[in-house]
Amino acid sequence: MNPEISMELIIALTAGAALFGVGVYGALSQTNLVMIMMGVELILAGAMVNLVAFWRYLHPDVAAGQMFVLIVMTVMAIEMAVGFAIAIARFRAKGSVEMEEAVDLKG
Amino acid sequence: MTAQAFFIGFFGLASVWFGIVVFRTYSMMRSAIALLFSQTALGAMFLSMQAEFLGVLQIMMMATEMSIMAIFMVMFMMDPGGLGEMDMTHQKRLSLIAGFVSFVAAVAVAVFVDWGPVATTFPDAAQQTVDLGLELLDRSMLIFETAGITILTAMIAATAVAIQPVKKGDDK
Repeated sequence: MNPEISMELIIALTAGAALFGVGVYGALSQTNLVMIMMGVELILAGAMVNLVAFWRYLHPDVAAGQMFVLIVMTVMAIEMAVGFAIAIARFRAKGSVEMEEAVDLKG
Repeated sequence: MTAQAFFIGFFGLASVWFGIVVFRTYSMMRSAIALLFSQTALGAMFLSMQAEFLGVLQIMMMATEMSIMAIFMVMFMMDPGGLGEMDMTHQKRLSLIAGFVSFVAAVAVAVFVDWGPVATTFPDAAQQTVDLGLELLDRSMLIFETAGITILTAMIAATAVAIQPVKKGDDK
């Protein structure tokens, strides 16, 4: 470990890693589409923490670092919009958004 | 340990804890509220890192997003109150291992990689917003516009997918 590295950076990166791990667990273990989307939200939140920490502690003079965070927020919003649209279509067709019942979508 | 490191750690811990609560409770309303708290703690963490604009944006966006999510949870879940204590999980062991391995791998990268020198000077909140505004209207304009168009396309596509299909003979 580099002794000159900032303690704040390591704490932020560890929090990001933990959020990513919890998100991976949620996305893989849940059977409901909305709960799976919550897991994906946590994965993206973990990525966002890392981006903010890298920008703040390594390159605060480069505004493009903040730009990346805005892009991740955009991805989160799109994921929600498209995910809920699919959930509505699925609920209307089958009366449930349980993914274990969605074997008919398997290619 | 500096006050900044303490607050980053505190809000980071709160964010992770509420993230875990999302998948531990049977009540879907509690899940949605826990995710809202997790994302808000993340916004507070950004504020602790002196990223004022991003912190406020995160809190505002996620408060709206999670409120919508809570409504959908109540609409679509078989047992939104969680009174039946239905287990809605599968492949739990594999998921736990995958989550833990990804956490350990990411922490190992964070700790063992030489990230180079830490920045000593930092722009204040007003300067950050000015810099971001200039960045959006200059070098990153194409990326920003593409993000806007992508959101618009996603909104139209989402509406098209979610709209009630009209049966033949019903469209007068």
